[in-house]
Amino acid sequence: MESSDTYLIRPHHQHKFKPAIVKECIREIVREQLSGVQYDPEEVPQLSRTLADSVKEKVKNAGFERYKLVVQVVIGEQRGQGVKMSSRCLWDADTDNYAEDVYMNDSLFCLVAVFGSYYY
Amino acid sequence: MHSDKKLTKEDTWRPEDLRRYVREGGQGDDRARRRDGSERKHRGGESTERRHRDPEKESRQERDKHRERESTRERRDEDRKDRYVEQRKEGSRDRRGDKERDRRDERDKEKEKRKERDGLVDGKRYSDDYGGNKDRKRDREDRHDRKRDEERHRDKEKDRVRDRERRNREDGDKGREERDKERRKEERDRVHRTERERRRHEDSGDAGRDRIEMYDREQRERHRERERLKDNREDKRTDKERRERHEDRKHSEQKEERGKEYREEHRRHKEERERRHKEGGCDDQKPKHDSDSRVHRDVKRSGEEEKHRLGNRERGDKDKQRERRHREDEDPERKPRDRQHREEEEDPERNHRDKKSVSDQSNKPETTTVKSEEVETEHWTISVKDAGDTEEPVVDEEVVDQEYEDDFEDYEEDFEEMDPSENEGEDEKESEEFPQEGGEREEVTTQKKKEIEAIQRAMNEENERVGTDQSIQSTRREEEDEPKLSRGHEKNHSRASQRGKFIDFVAAKQREFSKKVATKQKKRSTELLRLIDLDFSMTVSLLDLPPVNEYDMYIRTFGTANTKQAYVQCNEDNADRDIQTEEIEVCEKWTQHPPEHSGACGDSNLSQEAQGRNMNETNFDSQRLAAFLHSASQVLVVLLEEDQAERKSLSKLRTQKDTLSFSDGSLQLNTKLPFLYDRPISLVYFSQVQRHTMMSVHAPTTKPSAVRLDSCTIICIWNIWEPSRPQKILVYESEVQCCCFSPGKAILVFAGTSAGSVVLWDLREETSNHYRLNIGEEEWTFRQPTFSTNAVMAASGHFSSVSSVEVVPSTAAGGLRPEVPLLASEEESSGLSFQLASLDESGVLNFWVVVELPKANEAGSPTDLGLRPGGKVKLLHSSSLLTAERVSQRDAVKTGPLQTLHLKFLPSDSNHFFIGTNMGLVNHGTSHSLKATPKFYRFQEAGVRPVDVNSIHFSPFRQNMFLVGCGDGSIRLHTVSQEQPVAEWRDSTAGEPVVSLQWAHTRPTVFCVLDAASNLHVWDLLKKDTEPVVTERISADRVTAMAVFGDSGKQNTYSGIALVHESGKIEMQYFTRDFTVTIPAEEEKLETMMTEAF
Repeated sequence: MESSDTYLIRPHHQHKFKPAIVKECIREIVREQLSGVQYDPEEVPQLSRTLADSVKEKVKNAGFERYKLVVQVVIGEQRGQGVKMSSRCLWDADTDNYAEDVYMNDSLFCLVAVFGSYYY
Repeated sequence: MHSDKKLTKEDTWRPEDLRRYVREGGQGDDRARRRDGSERKHRGGESTERRHRDPEKESRQERDKHRERESTRERRDEDRKDRYVEQRKEGSRDRRGDKERDRRDERDKEKEKRKERDGLVDGKRYSDDYGGNKDRKRDREDRHDRKRDEERHRDKEKDRVRDRERRNREDGDKGREERDKERRKEERDRVHRTERERRRHEDSGDAGRDRIEMYDREQRERHRERERLKDNREDKRTDKERRERHEDRKHSEQKEERGKEYREEHRRHKEERERRHKEGGCDDQKPKHDSDSRVHRDVKRSGEEEKHRLGNRERGDKDKQRERRHREDEDPERKPRDRQHREEEEDPERNHRDKKSVSDQSNKPETTTVKSEEVETEHWTISVKDAGDTEEPVVDEEVVDQEYEDDFEDYEEDFEEMDPSENEGEDEKESEEFPQEGGEREEVTTQKKKEIEAIQRAMNEENERVGTDQSIQSTRREEEDEPKLSRGHEKNHSRASQRGKFIDFVAAKQREFSKKVATKQKKRSTELLRLIDLDFSMTVSLLDLPPVNEYDMYIRTFGTANTKQAYVQCNEDNADRDIQTEEIEVCEKWTQHPPEHSGACGDSNLSQEAQGRNMNETNFDSQRLAAFLHSASQVLVVLLEEDQAERKSLSKLRTQKDTLSFSDGSLQLNTKLPFLYDRPISLVYFSQVQRHTMMSVHAPTTKPSAVRLDSCTIICIWNIWEPSRPQKILVYESEVQCCCFSPGKAILVFAGTSAGSVVLWDLREETSNHYRLNIGEEEWTFRQPTFSTNAVMAASGHFSSVSSVEVVPSTAAGGLRPEVPLLASEEESSGLSFQLASLDESGVLNFWVVVELPKANEAGSPTDLGLRPGGKVKLLHSSSLLTAERVSQRDAVKTGPLQTLHLKFLPSDSNHFFIGTNMGLVNHGTSHSLKATPKFYRFQEAGVRPVDVNSIHFSPFRQNMFLVGCGDGSIRLHTVSQEQPVAEWRDSTAGEPVVSLQWAHTRPTVFCVLDAASNLHVWDLLKKDTEPVVTERISADRVTAMAVFGDSGKQNTYSGIALVHESGKIEMQYFTRDFTVTIPAEEEKLETMMTEAF
């Protein structure tokens, strides 16, 4: 906590939040955990939580230093209804970014969005 | 914690000895030390509490925090209770132990034993240390131990109390010796101590010497404070204690003093620090093995702590470790407190001690009591301090904080605010406590309990008060949990269990931390925000799942049912080509059915020349083939029929040979057809070109028959070589008076009816267009007329029954010979350019043009209402002539109205026509108002007789000669150019009217006459020119009509006569050879007859 006056206001390039990598992380985990899963309203809350945790862990290990991560998981049932989701952020566009991926099968859709916010 | 307690217990052992023997001033020091120790404990307690809270907080949700805090507060209270009990016990025990030891020391002066004991305690300590920092467990154990100790000691206490005075007296004697020893030991320990400190500095030096130094300073400061306090207190206490022996002690004063002291502490910091430095050297007075063991312990503990706090921040760890080390450093300092004090106070406070010592020594008898009192007060101060120290460790910590971050100046005020209330509570306790303390030892436990209860009560009150504060601050504190926790870790957790009302300070600290953190954050954010631009990101659409409409849903669920996907690729080699199939070969061909003009099929790609040739060839071939097949089929049929018919006729001939002398044989046509049954045959007619084609007119019958054609006239077209059945059957509603074939090939049949209409049949029409009737097992087609003038051309038609219909010969005069080839006539007829003349009884002669339409209209013609739908041939009225006028002017009076009965055209000139009348005359007329040289042809004798001319027949060999048969039986032979006949035979028929008269086709001089009496006369002018050669009377079945047939070209077979019998039989009689074979002199005979006549 030494509050020196030198701030690291930009991440190193190799530590920067890269949506492509994160998206791949998400995709991998979601495919792994959701393939062949049927929508069950009893299980889905737990499922989404574990999903979010595992995504967070995986992204944490991806080496984005000094990033605060927010993982949002939405799992919904597919019954032919229309769904629209959007997000908006107030952030530093130079450092912060997000990645999202959608997984769908016959009975459910799952959207995972990871927002990375740089901690200066 | 436990070990620390033991430490304090142990540490206090020797200084007490010293104190007792050397100096009274040591008492205060000892108290201060103890308090210090208890402070440590408190701090440790706090840290453990924090530590307890940590996992709880981690595990629980934030919402539980408040509740939890309350519970922890309760727990803390309990802890405090325990701690107080422990401290009390400890304190008493310590003192008891000390006293025991003292006694032993004094009596036995066995330092060895003491050392052994120390070793034992050390061993205990070790084991405790190995037990780790599981404070609670250890607490429990400790409590057990202490209880045991208490019980053990209680017995001894009595002795001790009794002995005390005695002992104290002895102290005075032995005091000096021991003091000397202590001094020696002191010197020794000092060396040890410096060494140890050096070592310690080396250990921790790497991480941060500065800090250690800071800690050192701190600790020294603390020491100094305490010492000062103690000094002050001791000063007073020594006075007081003496007083207190006799009266109640006034603790309030002390408290006030203590408050003052707190305030003074900061002022004195610098001085104290300096002093501390000096003290540092004198701290170590402990035996070597003790210090060693402690070092061991330090190492172990730090290791354990590191294990425990792996998750914590490095700095926290370091801090704690250092702190602990320092605290431990202080431990040794505490042990030889008396000596330290003694030495310390040589500088500024020597006077006190000197005074004390002086007083102690001078008031020897009193000292015993004083000593005991000292012990008690010590104990008391410890307990008081324990209660009051709830603040102090915090203060100390805050001092530390101050030294770290110099912005905590206002902290003291918080504590000072708290102080009075606490002190008051404590004062009460103390006041309760003290007199009892001053009394007997046995009551200690009960007193303690009471004390504890009182303290608890007071603390609860305070906690409630603080709780409200905390609840207000709770939100903030939750925010600040993180820093608080980290702060908490800095405290020694090995002394966890001893804890007072700490929460106030936690709250305060939290507030402070939060403030600090907030300011830091603010600073940070202000600094950073200058560098950073925050902006709104675009609104990102994370998911857009359109709703599924019903059709898609249906398709999704059912769309794939019963379907299968497959693919096929043509032309696998050329997968990349757009068109993957082979070029399609195109070839134009055409075909037509039926073939009409130029063939049945064609190919546009062939060369025009070849095409034309092909077409010609095919055309020719097909035409020829059709012609060939047509004729061949006919020939075959004819041959078969002929063969059959001949056999029949031969058998017949034998029977009939008697009756018909001229006949060479006969053939009977099969007229025994159901629709012909019982019908009289009115007319038989042979085609002039196709001489084997014959038609028979069957009049309507009056008798009803099975067939509903009774009222109709039926015309049968026969091929005489095919006698089994008629080729065509024509029907017409009214009675047919006359009929004729078309010129050339017999493809059209014309008929005049009694109703005045002229009808025609086109024999080429297909049978499917006509009415078909199944009679019996056979199917018959009854053809309705193709065209009828009936009522259609009423204005230009006939108004009376048509007597004769005759084809106007072609105008190519003189050319039409029977030898005209078939094909030529066919070609001529195909053009159908000929005229038809019809004559009715009133003498009106109508000329018609026969027109063949290029195309049949199946729907019927809207303009030609007489044309049958699908018919192609129709009649156009060309001109009309009245032929009867001129003849009748003179004769009409005698004979009545002239009737024109018969019409014949001159075969060689179609403009001349001859009409037989009912006046026995044959009128001669021309169609184009030419001059007809003989106007009429009359009998031999002049005059007009009312005789019908029944038959006119031109000779096929000499076309200017014709025969006229009359109703009176007379027969005349005329030439065209002469009015009078060449010859006239009046009685050849015995007065019977001539019905029919015809020249034979094979011999120019032979003709046949049938009279009404069914007599058949055959004339041969060459043989006999006056009477018939043969006269046959057929009486059995009357002959009503006859027709001569035969072909001059085929003489052998074609010469005969068709006889129509009354019964409806048609019999074909073949002439015998003498009537058929041409005799060369015949025409000369006719010539001679002509010349003879004129």
